[in-house]
Amino acid sequence: MIAKTRGFRGSYRFRNFESPPQERLTQAAIPSTVTIILIQGFSDEVSCLVQPGDAVKAGQIIGRDDDSISSPVHASVNGKVVNVGKLAYLGNEVAAVTIESDGTDGWQALEGHTAQWESLSAEQIEKLVYLSGAAGAGRSGIPTRFKSSIISCGDVEYVIIHGVESEMYGPLAAALLAGERLGQFAEGVRILKKMLPSAGFHVALNAERQDLISRVSGTLASYGVEVRCLEPRYPADYDEVLVSTVLGRTVPPGHLAANIGVIVLDIQDVLHVYDAVTKGKPVIERTVALCGPGFSENPHVQVRIGAPLEHLAAGKLRQDRAYRLLRNSALTGERLEMKQPVDRNCDAVIAVHENDSREMFAFVRPGPRKDSYTPTFLSAILGKKLTKRAETNLHGEERPCINCGFCEEVCPAGLIPHHLFHYVERNIIDETLLRFKIYDCIDCNLCAYVCPSKIALGRHIREGKDKLINEGLTCPRPDSLKGLLTDSK
Amino acid sequence: MKAVRSLLDKLYDTPALSRFRPVIAAADAIMYGTNETTHAAPHVVDNIDIKRYMSLVILALLPAVAAAFFSFGWRVIAIIMVSYVAGGAVEVIFAIIRRHDIHEGFLITGLIFPLVLPPTTPLWVVAVGVVFGTMFGKEVFGGTGRNIFNPALVGRLFITIAFPAIMTVNWQTPFASGPDAITAATPLTTYKSTAQAAAVNPRVVEAGTEQVLFTSARAARNATLNPQSVFAGVKVYCMGNAAYKTAAYHRRIEEGNAVKMVSYGNLLIGKEPGSMGETCRLVVLAGGLLLIALRVSNWRIPVSYIATVFVFAAVGNYFLPARFAPPLFQVLAGGLLFGAMFMATDPVTSPFTRAGKYVFGIGCGVLTVLIRSFSGYVEGVMFSIVIMNAFTPLIDQIVLMFKYRPVKA
Repeated sequence: MIAKTRGFRGSYRFRNFESPPQERLTQAAIPSTVTIILIQGFSDEVSCLVQPGDAVKAGQIIGRDDDSISSPVHASVNGKVVNVGKLAYLGNEVAAVTIESDGTDGWQALEGHTAQWESLSAEQIEKLVYLSGAAGAGRSGIPTRFKSSIISCGDVEYVIIHGVESEMYGPLAAALLAGERLGQFAEGVRILKKMLPSAGFHVALNAERQDLISRVSGTLASYGVEVRCLEPRYPADYDEVLVSTVLGRTVPPGHLAANIGVIVLDIQDVLHVYDAVTKGKPVIERTVALCGPGFSENPHVQVRIGAPLEHLAAGKLRQDRAYRLLRNSALTGERLEMKQPVDRNCDAVIAVHENDSREMFAFVRPGPRKDSYTPTFLSAILGKKLTKRAETNLHGEERPCINCGFCEEVCPAGLIPHHLFHYVERNIIDETLLRFKIYDCIDCNLCAYVCPSKIALGRHIREGKDKLINEGLTCPRPDSLKGLLTDSK
Repeated sequence: MKAVRSLLDKLYDTPALSRFRPVIAAADAIMYGTNETTHAAPHVVDNIDIKRYMSLVILALLPAVAAAFFSFGWRVIAIIMVSYVAGGAVEVIFAIIRRHDIHEGFLITGLIFPLVLPPTTPLWVVAVGVVFGTMFGKEVFGGTGRNIFNPALVGRLFITIAFPAIMTVNWQTPFASGPDAITAATPLTTYKSTAQAAAVNPRVVEAGTEQVLFTSARAARNATLNPQSVFAGVKVYCMGNAAYKTAAYHRRIEEGNAVKMVSYGNLLIGKEPGSMGETCRLVVLAGGLLLIALRVSNWRIPVSYIATVFVFAAVGNYFLPARFAPPLFQVLAGGLLFGAMFMATDPVTSPFTRAGKYVFGIGCGVLTVLIRSFSGYVEGVMFSIVIMNAFTPLIDQIVLMFKYRPVKA
């Protein structure tokens, strides 16, 4: 089943940026040391089960907490624990385990896995998914009876699996589903269907990749999964946007898709489920797309979790000029350093040119390779032929807001970002911000991208939300929400 | 260019010039672009900046400047230069006192202001106007982005009221020079005085009538077809070619008594007197459409403004032809197209809400037609935009009130 899906407000199509990821998939060597952080996207830190000096196997659980909502964390290489300590990671201090690898590439399989997974009971499948760490996917986890998600299995009404590729740079669904992986993906979806029998399944793909769509829909045809074609307009891959475009529902502001019974997963999450149940393979590997002009080649690399970026990039990072490394997104991602490890939720590393050089008369140049929301550069005409530059220059000085309205036009949440900005800037933190729906903001940063006055609108709105929460003005909570364990984002 | 770079760097470091930092920074920013990079997410940002945004408005105004130059000669250039120098000085002084950067908005004010002046305006009046406009239209409110009124219009309004003789009676005919070139009448003035003296669109031209004004071919046909009409010795003024043809070829109207008062074609190509930038409507339209196509200005205001003028004038002209000029004439005459394309669209002084933009455009349109029809002034574009500027915050507030319901605390 292929269904067309309605569009959504605002949004922007990032077209044809230089050095996009290639469909090629390569396997990185076993790293000599890995650093594994004991935290996942949405849950608290899990307690560490190993001590320095312990010998560990790849796939062995090294962090686990069965009382809180979480999934176990595994060693990703065979070797010896050399350090258990704190690591500054993405602005937080997190517990991390450093393991020295012995160089072998085997891993310890989970007990009870079988290629004939249909013979397993729901509980056995759930246990495999939980123990493998695959349940810790997305922003709310995959529900099992082992407290792996903020909601329970029975609460799930829909599962959306996405690969819309709406980001400026991100992994390609075609690379993740190359060769036998497509069949495994289909099996993974079937396993999830068995785990969540009452849920409807949707797969959302980039409408411009027709061959992939026909392959996927051909494979999934008989399983009652709906394949949706979405225009790859940023931020089509966001949970809030997917829920509205695919299901026509609204995620209550300040809450998660899971709160209304929708689980949003990406393609790799499903493959992890397949690997866990049929091969007994825990989440010890991640496929990461190397994107952007900073890499001499742009393959997708399958790498052990915890491997430092320098291992992942392994000589592919250009040395000709300075590059800024970003995690997952050029619009919302954090900066990375070469020493930092690849974590479980990493699916793209982006290297953009750190451009602090002055361009003479930049503002009157025709700009055939300069991306802009406005059609004021030649790239508006040539954008399909010439690739656009990805660099960190601000391209102008910060100026007062002139109400040009670009931020409002692109806002996928239907907000008026510059209006909110004026309140936050003047430190007016009260019900007015609630009234103008500040909590509807999904933090996509598109407003800050298009602003000609170079105002960091997204950051100001986030600041406004934080200050509101400090003042006790949290967003109104609708009735009948599921799994209300997180109050706000 | 390296010499310029090192000179600039030296100027930054000279302590004596530290107060003039905004001037140096402005020169630097224009020549060299920025070396600043994004601090945090989004790490990559759009290439457009305010300098390019404003430059495009200037680019869209250049055809109108060229047309003004060809119509009125070197004086146009002199007026523009006085405007830039005098207004620029105010901007620079305020930037130095306030210790902030020089904002690019002035580049537009400094060009739009001279374009809405009569070509005969004395240079000192230009200077007075632009200084007043920049200071009281913008800087006293806190500079670019905070002003309530369009600074160019504030300046224009001030000199219109302060120097009425200069601003309302001396108009130069395009493509002409010498004493004959000066006329007291723009097409709007001509219409108003003729409409007051003549019988406008009568069904029957009665005996004893001296002047008749037909605002459309239909009105001319109705009157001439009426057997009771008497045309002997009656001067017949006709708006536009169609009405003129109907009248001129009619055997009952004596030869030479039919007068074509306004040619829409001449209005379009800029042969009728008016303010410098507004006369050649074709290039004004082209510039405005370019800005809309580039998304620099929003289509909602000009479209609703012009459409309102057309519709309101059509209705008014049907019922009260002695007061309301015909719709097409109202759209083409005076500063309407220039005002709608370049001044009503100023994002800072017009509503930012979409519904508000329509309200703003409709308000401007209604006021323009009302002022043209019922006030002592012949032109209402300037007043209506300034009045609607004042209502802008209110319009936005009301629109937001409907769009976002208040929440209970």
